[in-house]
Amino acid sequence: MHEETLLRDLKRKVEEVALGDRAVRVNRVRIWVGALAHISDGQLRARWIEITEGGIAEGAALEIDRSMDPGDPRAQSIVLTRVDVDRDDSPLLEGGDLVEHP
Amino acid sequence: MTERSIHVDYVARVEGEGALRVKLHDRTVEKVELRIFEPPRFFEAFLRGRRYDEAPDITARICGICPVAYQMSACHAMEKALGIRVGGTLRELRRLLYCGEWIESHTLHMYLLHAPDFLGFPDAIALAKEQPEAVRRGLELKKIGNAIMRVLGGREIHPINVRVGGFYRCPTPEEMVALRPQVERAMGLAEETVRFMAGLTFPDFEEDYEFVALRGPEEYPFNEGEIRSSRGLRIPQEKFEEQFEEVQVPYSNAYHVIRKGGGSFLVGPLARYAINHDLLTPRAKALAREAGLREVERNPYRSILVRAVEVLFACEESLRIIDGYRPPEVPWVASDTPIAVGDFSAVTEAPRGMLYHRYKLGTGGMIQEARIVAPTTQNQLRIEDDLRDVVARGLDMDDAHLADACEKAIRNHDPCISCATHFLRLEVDRREE
Repeated sequence: MHEETLLRDLKRKVEEVALGDRAVRVNRVRIWVGALAHISDGQLRARWIEITEGGIAEGAALEIDRSMDPGDPRAQSIVLTRVDVDRDDSPLLEGGDLVEHP
Repeated sequence: MTERSIHVDYVARVEGEGALRVKLHDRTVEKVELRIFEPPRFFEAFLRGRRYDEAPDITARICGICPVAYQMSACHAMEKALGIRVGGTLRELRRLLYCGEWIESHTLHMYLLHAPDFLGFPDAIALAKEQPEAVRRGLELKKIGNAIMRVLGGREIHPINVRVGGFYRCPTPEEMVALRPQVERAMGLAEETVRFMAGLTFPDFEEDYEFVALRGPEEYPFNEGEIRSSRGLRIPQEKFEEQFEEVQVPYSNAYHVIRKGGGSFLVGPLARYAINHDLLTPRAKALAREAGLREVERNPYRSILVRAVEVLFACEESLRIIDGYRPPEVPWVASDTPIAVGDFSAVTEAPRGMLYHRYKLGTGGMIQEARIVAPTTQNQLRIEDDLRDVVARGLDMDDAHLADACEKAIRNHDPCISCATHFLRLEVDRREE
């Protein structure tokens, strides 16, 4: 069940990064998976779809770079490397609220 | 609206599988609550409406480390309903499959999770840097356990060759002969493991456990035997629910199991060893003595030694079975009569302790109700009792050191949640007057 907590953590970080960048939608997420991370691409993709449902990252493509090097110092880890988003460029109102578009 | 790529370098971590809430009043431990967040998995509900012969494959998916235990408990329960007894070579092959699982599961826990605790390393990766030969020994031994699982089960994780009545296919004599040199090698590695683990320094800590395990009729138990406890309980497997009860606690997703009219109890290697020590092979007994193990070991930190002795026993048992192997005439025993209606249960010894299955079967062997009581569930209350004493001794520690001491105490019992190093969030409520 460790994929559950890993993916929850990943989703939390993706949302934090996206919202911090005023994103309205996450299109693509790229991760690097270490050789000893004990998780398959199939598990990752299946849980990713379920876990992002209803959030800003719903429907975002998950791209996986899989490392084959067990000697890498991050070999047991999953690293979030890139988040592609659609960003709202409208100017901010005072106080940081987004401008309402008609 | 613009598209943008944000580059990050964030490592996702396994966190918060469990939390420990400790309430102190002055210097008295008032409450210790181990909270398991892992969501319910509904396996007992999946089984309803499925046929009896699907149970071994469905329940195997509960655990990637001990799938054989689930298959064995399911098969034995269903065979009682069919009125068949699996004996002779098929019975031996089941013991061999279980040996493979004990070897790989115990070795994984000893070298990759437990040993770093005693050697001052945060994890096995750090241990591998300083003592690469130890980790290599562990990995090689685990691989041989996996090889046994592959020959008997078709693959090492979630084997697919087990069926009610025996196996779909039995190994050829050539396949068994090919396994022999590996198992012989494993025996040497297992002896080295006992000696290596005997060199560790263990905290001086003992608990007054009620040990519960199967007692084999003539052999150290895997699949058969009656349930016995160190306080005199002696019952057939079918009476498990008369003596043990699952209870819900509001703070955890995992059940607690209590001994009716008693309290916590312990299953697993310490219990199995305490109740069956005399059934070990002479070599395993001698190594146990050399490692300083007493016939009943009450220091949970020293469970790593018992695991090492059990691995040595499993290697010896594997070699005995391989050497005596003659392929059976049929790979499984069939029943002459239709499957019975009613409740059928079985207990086998998973690496972590007794695993109980009960199935209520309707006509045609359709499962109407299933109950599965895993060893970690049975030990959970006992783990809280250990933690209460660990906290009481560590009152002067800061929270980080206390959390570390608690994690180690939990790891002694190899619960499934221990896979995650640093999995524990500690909340200490220190109230002083």
